[in-house]
Amino acid sequence: MQAFLARLGRNRKPADSENDAYYTAGQLALIKARFRHKTSGMVAGCILATFILLGFFASFFAPVDPTIRGADAEYRRGAPQLVYFWDENGFSWRPFTYTYSKEKKQLDLKALAGGDLNALDALTSSGALSSSSQNKFTEDRQQRRYLQFFVKGWEYSLIDLSVAGLNLDLRWDRHLFGVEQGQIHLMGTDEDGKDVLSRTLHAIWITVSIAIVALIVKLFTSLLVGGVSGYFGGRIDSVLMSITEAVRVIPSIPVYLACAVALSQMDLTSVQRYFAIAVLIGALDFATLGRRLRTHILMERNQDYVLAAQLCGSSSSRIIWRHLIPSFTSYIIVDTLINFPYVILAETSLSFLGLGLTEPVNSLGVLLQKAQDPDIQQNMIWQFFPVVVFVALIMAFVFVGDALRDAADPYAEKK
Amino acid sequence: MTDFLANTWLLWILLSVAAVLFWRSRSSQYFQYVFNRYLLALLTLLIVSGIVFSLMEVLPGDCAEKYIAYKNTQGETITQADIDAERARMGLDRSLAVRWGSWVTDLTLRGDLGFSCAKRQSVNLALGERFWMSLGFCLAGLLFAYLIAVPFGILSAYMINKPWVDTNPQHSPRERAFNTLGLVVNKVLDLVLRVVSYLGLALPNFLLALTIILLYVFAGEPMPTGLYSEQWRTVPWFSDEGFSFGKLNDFLGHIWLPIFVIGWSATALQLQTVRALVVDESNKLYVDAARARGVQGVALWAGYPVRHSISPLFNSVGFDFQRIFNDLPIVAMVIGLTDAAALLIEALSMTNDQELAAAILFLVALVVISMNFVTDIVLAAIDPRVRKSVLGS
Repeated sequence: MQAFLARLGRNRKPADSENDAYYTAGQLALIKARFRHKTSGMVAGCILATFILLGFFASFFAPVDPTIRGADAEYRRGAPQLVYFWDENGFSWRPFTYTYSKEKKQLDLKALAGGDLNALDALTSSGALSSSSQNKFTEDRQQRRYLQFFVKGWEYSLIDLSVAGLNLDLRWDRHLFGVEQGQIHLMGTDEDGKDVLSRTLHAIWITVSIAIVALIVKLFTSLLVGGVSGYFGGRIDSVLMSITEAVRVIPSIPVYLACAVALSQMDLTSVQRYFAIAVLIGALDFATLGRRLRTHILMERNQDYVLAAQLCGSSSSRIIWRHLIPSFTSYIIVDTLINFPYVILAETSLSFLGLGLTEPVNSLGVLLQKAQDPDIQQNMIWQFFPVVVFVALIMAFVFVGDALRDAADPYAEKK
Repeated sequence: MTDFLANTWLLWILLSVAAVLFWRSRSSQYFQYVFNRYLLALLTLLIVSGIVFSLMEVLPGDCAEKYIAYKNTQGETITQADIDAERARMGLDRSLAVRWGSWVTDLTLRGDLGFSCAKRQSVNLALGERFWMSLGFCLAGLLFAYLIAVPFGILSAYMINKPWVDTNPQHSPRERAFNTLGLVVNKVLDLVLRVVSYLGLALPNFLLALTIILLYVFAGEPMPTGLYSEQWRTVPWFSDEGFSFGKLNDFLGHIWLPIFVIGWSATALQLQTVRALVVDESNKLYVDAARARGVQGVALWAGYPVRHSISPLFNSVGFDFQRIFNDLPIVAMVIGLTDAAALLIEALSMTNDQELAAAILFLVALVVISMNFVTDIVLAAIDPRVRKSVLGS
């Protein structure tokens, strides 16, 4: 490497200081530096950050209130509204959409008046009475609705820390964009008239925050099990490891299901239920990380620094928490990030079965559940928008996790 | 006495295997390991049964209430005293530990998995061929995953750091063109498979199943849900005219969908694993040494890095099976299968049928544990490195 730099002969910093920085860098700094070189990881990281920002400030970015209060009764099951800059009436710098009005169905009931049963059959089988054909909208191309930015809308809390016990609740009522009158539905509406785009944006943060809670719980259980089992070894180790093994061989989704059914029996609010599910997913997922940690600590506990700490009179818990686990931090961080998509998938699968979060909550699993409905598959294809967002989000997580795994590998340079 | 022996065959098999292993373990270190592994597997099974049994206790309702509710629909008026009497008759008033004990002894002594409250028949009957069906699905999915993941994972590892164009000046132009073509084909294949495998990780199974069904809806064709079409459902496999090939044809036309769907994400995961394992091994010194001795091409790869990456892969077969079964219930619900996984979902979320659900979960764990046991002892027998690390400790 040095010879190569010397041959380049450009005005670089002296090679020595560079090498010093390299050899004295901490584990995390090395990971960061290696991660920067990975293009796919960086791109995925940017996309992921965008998603999470969009999700966290969803109320600001969403043009419509995603709850039933913001439901547009005049525009149920409506298709996405397109945004234009020009049409046959001319060009406008300000993007606009049109006013949509519900089409009044002209049912020919005259034939029925004569008592003609064939006409009645024809009417019922033509689908004219089905709800999807009742919701036809015409756009009034003369009535433009101009998009406005930073409009005043419903009030929301931008950052709400009152949950964490702090008395901080930043409230605001500005939104990134909206239209002068009425609402804009860039991704259409569902059968209640709730805006699909707004629901999806809100769902991202709910889903990610469940995963965060689940991963924190998982981290603590696996640190506890792995740390105790590895440090003490012997009989405690065998007992804990046989329990871990037993938990590992039982398929997890049925176990979540049974717990979710038990939870549904209790009288929980949707927020409590949401945390209960996150804690559940986290608590039952300790096996893999716990085992890895145990193996690491089993090897590490015979080192001299542990003996030194013991001779200084440190307690076992202090040695585990302050000396042994920190030597494994980078692996733990990387493993936690890699596990993000799997935890999200677990939550989504549960919600998809109707036993995780349920309808009024905007989680991605709840929104994906709709993809099962044949009516939505055939008549409201825009409700598949959350599916696209979901796949993109998980892909971003997978790519970032993959790049991180490569970056955290201490032997990466040999390849 | 003969009745007793016939009923307790399971116990005798377990005990005699243990006895044979113990006898051999006194003269052989390897069998000592196998014997320890066997005891550990039995212990794990016992813990699994405990976990599963206590998990099922949290499900609301019990068998007596369901039986009374069933009688209620027949027009009889039921009082709390009746429920209590029924509960005492079924033994539900005993403590959890006692019931667990009797469940385990029933299972080991008679192979009896209990009584399904919702189906009103024994679990063994209610499960019957459905369990074999699920097992078949999972094994087929596993086979599908391995058949795709292993060769292409190795290819992907081989293609790492390879250029797109052959610029070796020692080759003739014709050779270079030929090699470049091969490289481009392999690179594209590798790239496609990696993107597909990332998609496999990102797209949950049920979404994949839904997407395929959606494509059928757009194409206007009948969906390949279930196991057979309507007209073949009641036709027996064997009739007077011999084996019914029409039914087989129809069956094959339906069966690919669940196998493909459940095999998909396992394939994606395995592809990544195989690639990582082979890349790790191919950087080791012994591969360089072999290269220096003049071993090249297929002989080098098959003989050194690939051969050594197979054993960790083989070791994870049990957990791959578990992962595939984990996804099966949701896929079964989307596709409309009627196997044990669908029964499990029904028992858990609709009928709260505790014994049935416990039995299915226990059987899956049993399969996973036996797979792990078999792979462990086979690996220790054939792989010198594993044998050394196991017996040396």
